[in-house]
This record gives sequence, structure tokens and C-alpha cells, in this order.
Amino acid sequence: MAAKSPEHNSQRRVYWLGGLLLAWAALIALRLVQLQVVRYGEFHERAQKQQQRTFEVSPRRGNIYDRNGHELAMSVNVDSVFAVPSEVRDQEVAATLLGKILKTDSREILARMKASHAFCWVARKLDAQTAERIRALNLQGIYFQKEPRRFYPNRDLAAQVLGYVGMDDDGLSGVELAFDNELHGIPGKMAIQRDARGRYFSSVEHQPEPGQNLVLTIDENIQAIAERELERGMQETHAIGGTAIVENPATGEILALANRPNFNPNDTRHITPAQLKNRAVTDIYEPGSTFKIVTIAAALEEHLTRPEEPIDCQMGSIVVAGQRIHDSRPHGVLDVTHVIAESSDVGSIKIGMRLGEQKFDRYVRAFGFGSQSGIELPAETRGLYKPISRWSKVSMAAMSMGQEIGISAVQLAGLISTIANGGIYTSPRIVAADVPNGRFEVNPAFQSTSLSPVTQHRVISDDTAQEMKQMLRAVVLDGTARGHIDLPGYSAAGKTGTAQKVDPATHAYSKTKYVGSFAGFAPVDHPAVVIAVIFDSAVGLHQGGQVAAPVFGRIAKQVLAYWNVPHDLDLNQDQRKRVLRAGIADEGDETSPDHIGGVVDEGTNSGMANVEAQLTAPAASSQVAATPQVQPAKLAAKEHPKSVVAAESQPGVSLADHAVEADGSVVVDVDGTQVVPAFVGKSMRAVVEMAERASIEIEPSGSGVAREQSPPPGTHIVPGQKVTVRFSR
Amino acid sequence: MAKRVSLDKVLFSVTLVLVVIGVVFVFSASAVMAKDRYGSPYTFFFRQLAWAVVGLLAMVVIAKINYRHYQRPSVVFTALSVTTLLLLTVFFLDRSHNTHRWIHAGPFSLQPSELAKPAIILFLAYFLESRTRTLNDWRSTLIPAVLPPLLLAALIVGEPDLGTALACLAITICVLFAAGLDLKYIGYGFVALLPVLCWLVFLVPWRARRMMVFLHPGDDVRGAGFHIWQSLIAVGTGGLSGVGLMEGKQKLFYLPEPHTDFIFSVIAEEIGLIGAVVVVALFTVFMVRGLRAATLAPDNFARFLAVGITAMIAVQALFNISVVLGLLPTKGIPLPFISYGGSSLFIMLASMGVLLNITQHVE
Repeated sequence: MAAKSPEHNSQRRVYWLGGLLLAWAALIALRLVQLQVVRYGEFHERAQKQQQRTFEVSPRRGNIYDRNGHELAMSVNVDSVFAVPSEVRDQEVAATLLGKILKTDSREILARMKASHAFCWVARKLDAQTAERIRALNLQGIYFQKEPRRFYPNRDLAAQVLGYVGMDDDGLSGVELAFDNELHGIPGKMAIQRDARGRYFSSVEHQPEPGQNLVLTIDENIQAIAERELERGMQETHAIGGTAIVENPATGEILALANRPNFNPNDTRHITPAQLKNRAVTDIYEPGSTFKIVTIAAALEEHLTRPEEPIDCQMGSIVVAGQRIHDSRPHGVLDVTHVIAESSDVGSIKIGMRLGEQKFDRYVRAFGFGSQSGIELPAETRGLYKPISRWSKVSMAAMSMGQEIGISAVQLAGLISTIANGGIYTSPRIVAADVPNGRFEVNPAFQSTSLSPVTQHRVISDDTAQEMKQMLRAVVLDGTARGHIDLPGYSAAGKTGTAQKVDPATHAYSKTKYVGSFAGFAPVDHPAVVIAVIFDSAVGLHQGGQVAAPVFGRIAKQVLAYWNVPHDLDLNQDQRKRVLRAGIADEGDETSPDHIGGVVDEGTNSGMANVEAQLTAPAASSQVAATPQVQPAKLAAKEHPKSVVAAESQPGVSLADHAVEADGSVVVDVDGTQVVPAFVGKSMRAVVEMAERASIEIEPSGSGVAREQSPPPGTHIVPGQKVTVRFSR
Repeated sequence: MAKRVSLDKVLFSVTLVLVVIGVVFVFSASAVMAKDRYGSPYTFFFRQLAWAVVGLLAMVVIAKINYRHYQRPSVVFTALSVTTLLLLTVFFLDRSHNTHRWIHAGPFSLQPSELAKPAIILFLAYFLESRTRTLNDWRSTLIPAVLPPLLLAALIVGEPDLGTALACLAITICVLFAAGLDLKYIGYGFVALLPVLCWLVFLVPWRARRMMVFLHPGDDVRGAGFHIWQSLIAVGTGGLSGVGLMEGKQKLFYLPEPHTDFIFSVIAEEIGLIGAVVVVALFTVFMVRGLRAATLAPDNFARFLAVGITAMIAVQALFNISVVLGLLPTKGIPLPFISYGGSSLFIMLASMGVLLNITQHVE
């Protein structure tokens, strides 16, 4: 200490101090390198994460089309409203204003605003009017985002088939649920962030990918027919539930599937479970007599009986395993055809007993009972069918007449389709194809690109099937459905069923509640269509022949007319006149139930509207002109090859030969004059085709779309008289 | 012998640049908040700018005043007693933010603790000037030298403002160290103060929490660790060259006090490693030049003043940056010249005037 002057010592101390501070600064520099270079990625990511709020942008859900490319379900972009709460000046005032417009609790909106700084939904998927009112408020911090909202243009048409979606566009029932993955699409991402000036901005991170479109086998027009006739049947029978299925027997395609009660999927706030359920696939009912088809067909196939074999029906009483079973009406000796036609339980039991358990079980399963049909709808039931090991002594007898077994309406349609299709079971399907995102293109081949491959197997031989067809025809001609089916010009076959419901309280058969059904097809030789109709708990008249058969007839009549299926029966003069009048005069008679063209939805017309238009008297011509994409009925028919095939497979008979006759209601009048169709609005090609079919000579002028014609539509002309049609673009 | 030279232009320039950087980043860090609170993004910017101008003027004026004028008992003890008085006064004034730190007078507000630092430096330089030989005699010199700073520090702890109190102690130690204090006394002092420090830290829950957060920064990212974690994110996000001036986002809702204690986060985020290192380098240059002035000083009074002022600024700067970078537990210490705060900036610049005057005198 003495050796060094304090000054010198102090100098050194200052250097030391400087060194320490420099070391500290160097440490800081190293730390900066560590944070800003080495760990940059980590912090950058964290900053991104916390500085932006991302939320999902709904993808556009795929549309659902009917087989003709008409939208059954579509998504339209509507406004959703969200708030950036920290930008909202006075949250309480804003919440009150919004709550008034939205008719919701403003406290709830306020709570959501308080919960987040950067983002909260105020209301989603609003109608245009409400959105406009909110926009008019011009509130700070309130923003709009387009989101797709599901819209069902035909409202309750095929409601249970289509199902509905929730607020987030998730399918909650029907096809919407079953094909949710395909339809839904992949959500996009939107980020809300603040720039360095504190302004919020949103940016789309990735675009949502739209879902795939789906094409159903449903035909909107046939569906409309089925819905309308089922509704009418409901009103007539006062049933608590009803189902109608229209199926193409050759392909298993479901053309229409209607249920009552039903709902409007556009407004899902008040749906009850009863409305929601697709009883055609989810509900089990005891089929009763319709199931006798299985018994008789199996016995025929096994050569255990013949259609003309006499069976002693023992005046309506038989004892099986100590239990006495009664027919509803006593019968004496009936041939097998009339065991079916008159629906004798005793006869069916006696025939069924010949089969034995093993064989009977094999046929029941081969006809598709006891297992799911595989139709692309959620919650399909397998039905109730016990394995042989659990059969009681009376089971065999009971099932021979359709008791002790539970089936679904779809399974019933499958049974009838097998008979109609010459003994080949075809699994039903309701989805024709999915169309990779983008718009629907009418692809004539789409039926072959089915999502679920059609599975077919032979159950009974073609010969047996033909015998069954004739026996089922007897049901309509002189059996339990006689007089209940009004189907002029076509043969029809089918089977009635009337089953007592099991009372859930007593577990005994109810004396007052019945399930009445009718399942059949037409025309008999070349079935174009299978229709199954079921009414649950009809009041008053309740037998299948009484409640369901008329509905079958009305649906069949309209569907066959819609497709221009050739008549297979001669119309007598009266009937021909009636058909003609139905074609012309009914247009003015709105109450007429036989009115062919159903109102599917205003403006979404096509095939049906045309058929109508063609049938329409002059008064309707302006309407036709106003509808630009009108299609001749024949073209519509071409979209349904099976109906054509049915006709063409008949040797020497072509559809063309039948056309005039089939279109009798359109063209040929009884007195030999012809009715001028409406050409206005159609393409030249369409006009020429129509004229050809109607054997009318036309004198075209110009090119493009038909603008004027003379004489006007509906006028009666003598053969050889020309119709002048002026075309222009 | 002592002669007059021109003032240290490097020191002057570095100070000026740091003040300018401060004004710019006060604006960047506070614009959005100012607009939210006061409707104009320029509120803090203009205030800081005004104080910077006033402070720089004061610095230039003070740089012309011979430092020897301060070497008088009347000046030194007036400064000490006024500071003590003001520190006592704040206890009787309204609390703001639950603390007694501020004296408000019209548009001006003053933190007396800011005054304490120069007062301590002045006192130590004055007291030790002629006592370097007996410094290590604890009875005659050490205790009397250490007592007033300890007293002031105790008052500041009571505000409570532990950060500034620690800064006062750090300055005291630096000056004593430069004056030749035996290292064992520094050791004793540290051992003596450690229990007090521990008591202060762990008795007050929020301080304890901060300490735990410092020791385990990842544990509580949402809670107590939020601030320091957000600061690290801001610094890290800056990367090599930064996100761009005014473009930083962490200051918007995440950084606490982005324009005061955490302004270095904003700097690091917006101008990156390059900018942050430049700022650290500027402080380093400042420190080297300041200590150089001390070694060249003609007398002990000037030397100790220079060491004290340099240490005051350098230690606070390094401490503040260390906190921002998660190297030290959070303490409310502003970044000298740069952080928003009128009284602090003015006092720093005024002190700089003294230092700059000292640079004009060499042996």
C-alpha cells in the first residue's frame, strides 16, 4: 500500500471497474446472440402464435343433387357477424343494439365480448335482412364474414333422406350425416391480427376446400309425387306415420323415399324425434301378410307346391303346437295363387310348414331379412329376425304369415324388387355418385360410378319369379287389393299386409292399432317401378288393401306417366278419354289428385313442368315461354334407361312404336285429330323430336329457340296439317 | 498540472445519439398506447422530446460550469438534505400505483429517488476527496462515508423502490472501490446486506414471485413469468435485423411498460441484433470514455464524480438490459437516456453535463 500512491491505486481500480463493466456488456451481447440468433425460430413461432387469433373458415359444403342434377341441398353464402371486442367503443350499447336486432339476450353477447380481446362471434349465418340491419348500425369493431349456410330449396321434400346440418355445417342426420366426410370439405383458416399500428386485419391463411357434391338416385319429381300421395294418404287414413318408397327393381336405386311426419330442414329449431327419423330405414314393423311372399316363393322354388295346387284352408282355423290360429276370414279350399290373393294365414302356414326351418331360414335371409340392406342412410335397422336356435314351436308358423319377425320398409321394397327383378335380389342404394368438387355436370354414366357397388344375388329362379308375379297380380285383380288400385293402361302386382301392432303396455297384439301396407310393382311383365307404402295406426279403415294400395296406385300412375312407360293393357274407350282429359282438362282443376305434374318447387322445375306444359291447354303457353330450359318429356324418359330397356327387351317392340300410344294423353285424340304441342321456348332439335313423336309436320323458319308457333298449342289439327314454328336467337 | 482541454466529443456524441434513439423508440413503443389513452399517438413522444431538449440544454450549460463549484459543503449538504427531505415528503403524498415515488407539481412530476443518485455521488466524491488514505479505517472514514448513502437507500426501499435503492448501493460501491476500498470490506458489506436483501425480497410476495420467475422462467408463462417471457419473445422475434422500426408487435399488448423499463425489448424486436448490439456498444463506449475521464481527472473529487456518474449510467443501463434479457430478476430500473421519463432523463443529462465538464480538465 505504501509503495503505490493512492492515485495510482485508484487508477488501477478504475481500470478494474471498467473491465468488470465491459465483461458485463460482453455477457449481454452473448445473450443477445443467443436469444436473437440461436433461439430465433422458437420465439418467432411463439410470437406468431400469440399475436394472431386464428379461427376456422367453413368450407363450402357440397351440394346434394337429385338424379337429374337438381339441387336438393345447397350451400349459399350468408353473413356471419363477429366482433373485435377491444375495438368496440361501448360494448354494452353495442350488445343491446345487436340483441334487439337478433332477438337474443344482449347479456349473452356482452359476456362473449368480455371474454375475448380479439375475436368473438356475435351471430352466425344470418338472413340477408338481419345482416343488413346490423350493417346499417355501422358499429365500430363489428365485422362481417361470409359463411356458407345450408339451404334446402324444396323444403320438406325428402327431408329424412337429406337430413339436416348443424350450425357448423356438420351433417346431423340423413345423407348429410352418412356422407358428412365427403360433403363437408376441409375448413380454411383465417387469422386476425393487429398490425404495428394497432389496427386489426384478417387474412385468409388457407382457403377452405369445398366438399364434394353428391348425386342421389332420388328423382325430385318422383319424390314429389310420393310425398304428395303419401300426404294425401295420411289425411285419408289419419295414420300417425307413413312411408312410401319408390324403387327401380333392376338397379336397386331408390327413386323416392318419403316419410310422415316430416320436417323442414331449413328450420331445424322445432324438430321432434318422430319427424326426424327416417322410419323407412330405422323402424322395425311386423310385416304381416306381405311376408307370405317369402313363404310361397320359397315353397315354389323348392318345388313343394305349385300355383294351382289346392290348399285346404280349413275354414280359417289351424292348430299349431297347441295354439289355434284364425284367418281373418274363413276360406275353404283355395289354390296357392288365391292363398296369396286372399291372404290366407292358414294356407300360408300349411305351405310354410312344408319348407322346414332350415330352408325357410335360408330364403328369409336370401331375401335380405335379418341384415342391413346397405342403403347409404344412417341408423339402418337389421330388423328383428331370430336365429333358428331361438325359435319356439310356433315360430315357423308365425313367420310363414309374417309374424314374429320385424322388418323395415326398405327391406320390404327389396323383397318386392327381387320378385319384380326375376328373382335377383339387388341391394338398394340412394347415392348415385359423388362429383369431385365444383359444379354438377350431367353425366349420363353416373349410375355406373356408384359409391357402393351394387350387390346382386339370385334368390329364386326366373320361372319361380314369373309365377310369383302372376300370383301377386291376382292380389290386385281379384284379391285383397282388388278395386283399390286405379292404374288404367298398366298391369300391377303386389301384396297387401295388415299387421296388428304389439301394444307396448300389454305386450299383446293390439285390437285397434294396425300397420297397413302394400308393396307392388307395375307393369307386371316388365316392372319399371316398385312401390312400397306403409301406414302406421290408420284410424278407421286400416287394412293394407284399403289404406296403402290406393296410394300405390296413385304413385304408380303418375310415375309411369312421367316416364312415358308404354301401356301394357289396352285402354278401353272410357279410359282413353279419361286419360286424355286428365292430360288436358285437369290442368284447370287444381284439386284433382291425378294431376300429373307435381309442384316440386316454384322455379326449380324441369321434366315435370314440361310434361305439364305439353299437356297444357293454350292458356298455359305463356307459362311455357317463360320457362327457358324446358325439356321434352321424352328426353326425361331417356334419363331413365331402365324404363326404356323394359320396353326394348320385348322382341320386336321398340319404344318408338309405343311412343304414340304411350303418349296417348299428349298427342292423339280419340276422334283422330291431333293436339298441337307447345313448341315455344324449345330448341329446334327438341321441337323436331317432339313433332316427330307426335307425327306432326312442322314448317320451321329461322334458327335458335322457338319464339312463335301457329296454330297455338292445344289446338286440334287434322293429320297432315302443318304447324309453322319461327325460331330466333 | 491541471489544464483545460475541449470536452470529450465522443462522450457528447454518444450521449446525443442515445437520447435520439430514446426519443425515437419512446414514440415507437408508446404510439398505439398513447392513441388509446390520450387520443394522440404523439403524447409521450412530445413529452420525451421536450425533456430531451431541456435536458440537453441543461447538459450543455452545466458542462460549462466548473465542477469545483460543487466541491463545497454548502452545495453537498444542501443536495443531501433536500433529497432526504423530498424522499420523506413523498411518504405524505398521494399514492400512485400503490407506491410513494412521485412528487407532482403541475405538469411536472419528479421522482426524488432520481435525485438521490447524484446526491450520493456528490457526497462521496466530496467526502472521500481528501480521505483516500484513511478510507480503510472504518471508524474515521468508511462508516461516515457509507452512512448517508445507506440512509437514503433505506428511505428509497421504503417507497418502495428496491431497484433504485440497489442502484444507489451499486454506485456507492463503485465509488468506494475506485477510491481504493479494501475488497474485504466490500465482502463484509455484501455479507451484511445479504440477509436484509433476502428479507426484503422474500417478505414481499410480488418480489418473491419475480425472483422465482427469474430462477425458473418457463414455469409460469401466463402468470408472474408473463412479463419477462414476453420480453424474451420480443427480443427473440427481432432476429438479426429486426422486424422494422415501428413494426414491433410485442409492445401492443404483451410487454409491460414498453416505453419505460422494457424499451430495450422494443429496440431488440424492431432493429434486431444489430441495433441492440449498437445500443450496448454505445453504452460501452460511453462507459470507457467516462472512466477515461476519471483516470485523466486532475483531482480525486473529479475522479470520484466521474466514476460515480459513469457507474450510475452504466450500471443502470447494464442492469436494465440484463433484466430485459432475463439475466437478472425484474427490477424497476429505467434504461438511461432512452426510457421514457422526464425527471430521470433530465437528471441523467444534467449529470452528464458535470461529467463533460470534468472531461475538460486533465492532469
